[in-house]
Amino acid sequence: MALLSITLPSVTDETRDWLPSLFWVVLLLTSLLGLARSFQSEVDDGAIAALVQVPCDRGWVFVGKAGANTVALVVVLLWTALLFEIFLDLGWQRGWAKALGVGLLGSLGLATIGTLLGAMAVAARFRDFLLPVLLFPLVLPILVFASQATGVALNGASIPVHWWSALILYDLIVALVGYFCFDAVLED
Amino acid sequence: MENALIRSWRLFGAAALLAAAAWLYLVVQAPEEQIQGVVQKIFYAHVPSWLPAYLGFFLTAAGGAGFLITRNETWDRLAQAAAEVGIVFCTLGLITGPIWAKPVWGTWWVWDLRLTSTLILWFVYVAYLLLRGFAYGSDTARNFASVYGILGTLLIPLVFFAVELAQGNALHPSDPAREAGGLPPGMARALHAGFIAYLLGFVALLGMRIEIGQLESAREETQWAS
Repeated sequence: MALLSITLPSVTDETRDWLPSLFWVVLLLTSLLGLARSFQSEVDDGAIAALVQVPCDRGWVFVGKAGANTVALVVVLLWTALLFEIFLDLGWQRGWAKALGVGLLGSLGLATIGTLLGAMAVAARFRDFLLPVLLFPLVLPILVFASQATGVALNGASIPVHWWSALILYDLIVALVGYFCFDAVLED
Repeated sequence: MENALIRSWRLFGAAALLAAAAWLYLVVQAPEEQIQGVVQKIFYAHVPSWLPAYLGFFLTAAGGAGFLITRNETWDRLAQAAAEVGIVFCTLGLITGPIWAKPVWGTWWVWDLRLTSTLILWFVYVAYLLLRGFAYGSDTARNFASVYGILGTLLIPLVFFAVELAQGNALHPSDPAREAGGLPPGMARALHAGFIAYLLGFVALLGMRIEIGQLESAREETQWAS
């Protein structure tokens, strides 16, 4: 944040337009640190074998992990939002409730897909290189929808229904794919 | 289905070559566009490439889902072959696009939503192949690739509706294939011939790649046995 505040020109009405995109890119890069370590402690402690043997549908293991990652990401989101307000004068007060709604949906999508891909990356070679390669292309829809919707919210306008629908639909599909496919991901 | 495709891919290949010859003839015969001139003829190579690319990516997801449900390797071979062939046609579209854009727009590339999302789609399937290569063990690779192939299709609606989603903030025109009905007959014929030639080529390449996959599986089994 300090680097951004120093290197960016002072915020004007023109530069304000791309601050929502910058916000989501910062959030994505920050989330990567946590998502990459999402399953690392289980691997280090040998607890993956225990997770595989839990006496319930493995989809629930995914729900638990994705839920925990979502909570962590929402905390990062709120912290990042505060820093953007203080250092870059983003002006959340113009539509904070709508922006928060977008933030929650975007965080849920990022955490859900990141959890699924994080579980794959720990069982592959070059895991530190592989996770961003797998994750970045697939989260593009979230970044596009969330940054556009955040920008609209910050302008004080109402977010079109299709942006909300797109975010909810994307989250729902990813969550369903994660729930039903996690069995195959954790199999080995 | 797999064996039928393997038996007939050479036939599809020959049909694709014939269709390509007819397509080239029709492209030469097609009337020149008044503003862009001869450069516009890249349109007949660029637009048809997206249909087999999307088809390949959808088949990757279908093959992945089929494998996860049935555990039959045939589905996995279909998914891998479709991803590779889909990438070939996606690459073709990404190469012909800038060649057309330079004389018409004055630049090779613009970062509008259609072009950017298409490039990202290409990255998704390159990542799919990397995942297959980097996962420990072939069973793990098949499982992971199946899940990732299913997720990859999520990007296709974004690419397809990118121009509409950009709300006027895109240099790329809306999909010309959807407006093919508005083309003069000579242009429409060349475009439709391109679709047919590319689709036949897609099926031929898919069958060839599946046969290679089957031979690779047979070799692995022989190595295990010995």
